Amino acid sequence: MNDDVQRLPISVTVNGDERVLEVAVHHTLLDVLRDDLALTGSKECCLVGECGACTVILDGRTVDACLVLAVEADGTSLTTIEGLASEGRLSPLQAAFLDHGGVQCGFCIPGQVVSAHALLQDNPHPTRADVDEGIAGNLCRCGCYEQITEAILRTAEASGR
Amino acid sequence: MRAFSYERPETLADALALLAANGRDARPLVGGTDLIIRLRDGTARPRIVVDLKRIPELRPGIETTTDLLTIGATTAMTDIAAHALVRQRFLALAEAAAVVGSVQIRNRASLGGNICNASPAADTATPLLIYEAVVIVAGPGGTRRIPIRDFFIRSGETALRPEDLALSIELPIPGHRTGSVHLRRTRRRGHDLASVTMSCLVDDRGITRLAFGSVGPRPILVEETTGVLADPGATDGAKAALLETIFSSATPSQGSMRASPEYRLAMLRVLGRRAVAIAIDRLAQP
Amino acid sequence: MNDRVGGSPRRVGGYGRVTGEQEYVADIAAPDALHVKLVTLDCARARIVSIDTTDAERIPGVKFVMTPAYLPTPIPRFGPQFEDRPILAVGETRYHGEPVAAVAAETKDAAESAARLVKVEYEALPAVVTLAAALVDGAPLVQGPEVRPGDPLSTTNVLREHRVGWGEPEALEADKADLVIENVYDFPMVTQFAIEPHAFMAAPDGDGIVVWSTIQHPNWLQRVLSRILGLPLSKVRVLSPDPGGAFGGKQHAKYEPLVAMMALRAGRPVRLVLTLEETFQAVRRAAATIRVRTGFHSDGTFVFQDIAADYLIGAYADIADRVVGKGSYPGCGSYRVPAARILARSVLSHTTPSTAFRGFGAPQVNWAVESNIDAGAVALGIDPLELRLRNLARRGDPFIPFDTPADGDWEQAARRAAELIGWGTPLMPGRGRGIAFGIKSGPTTGLSYSTVRLLADGSVVVYAGTSDMGQGARTVLAQIAADELGAPLEWVTVVMGDTAVVPYDQQTSASRSTVLMGNSVLHACREIQARLQSMAARLYGVEESTIVVERGIVRVADLEVPIPDVLVRGLGRLGGELIGIGEMRKEADPEHPLGGSAAFFEFNCTAIEAEVDRETGDIAVIRHVTVSDVGKALNPLQVRMQDDGAAIMGLGHTLMEHYIYDDAGRIRNLGAIDYRIPTSMDLPLELVSDMIENEDGPGPYGSKGMSEGALIPVAAAVAAAVRDATGVVIRDLPLTPERVWAALRDRP
Repeated sequence: MNDDVQRLPISVTVNGDERVLEVAVHHTLLDVLRDDLALTGSKECCLVGECGACTVILDGRTVDACLVLAVEADGTSLTTIEGLASEGRLSPLQAAFLDHGGVQCGFCIPGQVVSAHALLQDNPHPTRADVDEGIAGNLCRCGCYEQITEAILRTAEASGR
Repeated sequence: MRAFSYERPETLADALALLAANGRDARPLVGGTDLIIRLRDGTARPRIVVDLKRIPELRPGIETTTDLLTIGATTAMTDIAAHALVRQRFLALAEAAAVVGSVQIRNRASLGGNICNASPAADTATPLLIYEAVVIVAGPGGTRRIPIRDFFIRSGETALRPEDLALSIELPIPGHRTGSVHLRRTRRRGHDLASVTMSCLVDDRGITRLAFGSVGPRPILVEETTGVLADPGATDGAKAALLETIFSSATPSQGSMRASPEYRLAMLRVLGRRAVAIAIDRLAQP
Repeated sequence: MNDRVGGSPRRVGGYGRVTGEQEYVADIAAPDALHVKLVTLDCARARIVSIDTTDAERIPGVKFVMTPAYLPTPIPRFGPQFEDRPILAVGETRYHGEPVAAVAAETKDAAESAARLVKVEYEALPAVVTLAAALVDGAPLVQGPEVRPGDPLSTTNVLREHRVGWGEPEALEADKADLVIENVYDFPMVTQFAIEPHAFMAAPDGDGIVVWSTIQHPNWLQRVLSRILGLPLSKVRVLSPDPGGAFGGKQHAKYEPLVAMMALRAGRPVRLVLTLEETFQAVRRAAATIRVRTGFHSDGTFVFQDIAADYLIGAYADIADRVVGKGSYPGCGSYRVPAARILARSVLSHTTPSTAFRGFGAPQVNWAVESNIDAGAVALGIDPLELRLRNLARRGDPFIPFDTPADGDWEQAARRAAELIGWGTPLMPGRGRGIAFGIKSGPTTGLSYSTVRLLADGSVVVYAGTSDMGQGARTVLAQIAADELGAPLEWVTVVMGDTAVVPYDQQTSASRSTVLMGNSVLHACREIQARLQSMAARLYGVEESTIVVERGIVRVADLEVPIPDVLVRGLGRLGGELIGIGEMRKEADPEHPLGGSAAFFEFNCTAIEAEVDRETGDIAVIRHVTVSDVGKALNPLQVRMQDDGAAIMGLGHTLMEHYIYDDAGRIRNLGAIDYRIPTSMDLPLELVSDMIENEDGPGPYGSKGMSEGALIPVAAAVAAAVRDATGVVIRDLPLTPERVWAALRDRP
């Protein structure tokens, strides 16, 4: 069975580092991030692109890593949750999540933070409706949406004026 | 996920050759937001997955001439929803593209994929119908044009043969003023598969086109030319009678867990009425 | 940011959660672990004829396929109430997704491929998946009579009946009341849907075993494994990293015994991470059909409540029967009810074993009883809030005659909620308001040990067996220790989730941890404070009795000395540390119907303003007010987060969530595409959480448990708002647009 598995080399920039590796063509980007690159910040939950726990930024846009084959990421640049804090310092957005109570169990939070990060890059001054829409693809069963939204809006305010 | 082999052709000819050689054992891949779910749950078991994203002729993008807007089949929903001319002249399509899944899905899902899956609930199908789009298809015999109204056959089946590829979707830019809208019913306000889709266009000549989906094996287009539907002054009763006739072709399936046939049929009427009213309003706006 | 008790510092453990560094069970690096995949059948109930693993075992990388043939005979069974769940199905499967075998392989791919190749010959049998089918004469028995010898119910699918009541039986007769309202209400099967699917890992560890699990109750699991494996507790180490959400679904053992057996067979670590679909098949809330007869005087005061609730539990009892008993018990609500009769039955079915889920059986009965009260208010022409206030128990009222009296100023919470929703003020057309009260009995027994170490530099380590699954126990316990011992919060480390290191805690459930473990940690800190008192007496040469140690300060006469100053000098040149042991017990009462009185009650008032689209049936929640009586908020932000979360989860089962079964007993909407939960787009336009703090709880500083209350009355409050807006009464959940539309269509 393993003989049937096709593997291909890919080259991908992950959080600024060029990574060259060989991947099974039927493995998703999420499989490879977690199992091959040990980047377990991206979480596995629904595997159908509904929950957003595996959200990463691929060439500037958020995607559900469970719905991208790893080979499709060949030649792309990726940002995962591990790439958002630098040298142990939280990004303003990450800090705002903690200050405004945006985190409970935490399992959805990497995806939430990545979606919020991409949202603010595209739209530095979102409205409440923009934020609701921007994170709608990230389910939080703890129901922390009010606080997450607050964290995103406050981050935008603080960076803007 | 079951193993398969993966090809990433660099030319259209290579892609077509791969499809021709493998027939139904091959599945084209663009956004993957539908295909990868099916690869995982086993409802699609291709021997070979053909990734179309390195083919120059299939680069995503939206091009315009004076009378035509052409959307590359691999163009993502995000780009369609945000495109200025699409929003200006084909608002129902922009609205439909903006409600396909979450942001993450829209960043990935392509227009070609959305229509080629031929889900009766596909959101972009109904706006393409009201705008009289044409699908440009490449196949072993060369390129051909399939009017969108001939494109959808039944759930999961289009006029494409296994060896064909959709290259782009052309939308003729109307030579007159129009108002259009896309509406849908879902189980929640957050992203969801639609249990009824409804697109409507009215123009300043009094023509109304209504297209609706998820109430039968394929989305349906009906054109109404008496001018009554598009008439802001026509009575509700007159419009209702026309809508009854228009919706008589709807045949929602039994046994869906998303909505009962009764509800779908009732919502068809509600959405139809609302869509006509919004389209008329939009037509009236300067 | 105020770190002290009553402040809302950043969550302890928050850093790892926003950076992705937090390790959940599925994230733990274990390069030598085998991957496990469950083998299940495509139907609920089947007679297993044979299992052929030949083809599966030919897959390269497959180590073995575990089948009952490799397990002890009789197959070990386990469960918190009845030891009825086998490690693997033997002879017959009883629910869709019950494992009949499990593959262990070097890779996930190999395990999945092999699981598809395990050939199970089986004969599908009729399954009962509804109350009606389970209760009909001659229904197939989910569990054979031999499982419950001597039990007269063992020839039926009724696992148990729970009866509670008071007042004279005649008091329930219709002629005793001016008005009797009787209705039947339905509550659907819903699932916890923690975003972290359950995950398990096990590895042989010398002459013992170590098991990692997403479990809420590591000490329970340790006992289960100890019994099944025949190992002393000291040789079973359970590691339970903070779960990624649990909501009750991770309370008790599920597949840990299987994984442990497989690790012992493999002689190396094995890991099983469930898919979301598999978690749907593993845990859910009991559905219920509840008949309520409420007798009213014409002034709206209650004459009686007569409640018959059938809960549809699953194929194995898990903790479901306790859910039925405890959840139905406060069924009459937070009111003075002169006469009551509550009969609740747990009914077995060929479905996912139902288990604990936020609210623990109370949301089902509350939905029915509060809705029936609303119906009574309408019939009597009395304002629904006013009617409730006329009946509401006041502090000290023995509202459940043999239990803890009303332990809060509940009227205050109700009036606050009414004020925040604008009760009685004019409404826009198409809108309506509804209000409902919720109550839940807190823990009836409990035992929480803790250890607190005050280290030589004044920093603190707390060992507490509570699981922090998002509710924030780690933060609150750290705040208590920081406050009492005068350490900055970031100098406190809370160690949880390791039975080899952390002392025993009975469980993390019933909103108990702030009260029970909080008190335990407080007691441990007080022990240390007593040692500090002796130290200070020695250092200052004064009588011990003249010294007071409290909230981080040592008072010696007029001097206020920081604790570290006394500590460093007191410990002397050898250094060392001070150790405190905490113990908090809530003793059982064998005479009590629940085995113990409530440690506290969780009271919540929810008020809703909603708008209904009469054409589509859409309900838009305009304003959602939730007010809980929390005694004292040790961390007000976390209290608000828990109440918001409970409110939103309540809106889930109120508006959209439910399992849909087919005739073969399969869950049709398995997974995230067709089981809808609220997204950020599905929130009320305004969500207002408030709290009442009278420092009247049994926990530290007057706190009470909270976090479930705000879920309980949501459904009834929303349905009442829909009734107020439209005149239509709906008695089935969820209130989907289609259901509302149909009710509007069919209205008389």
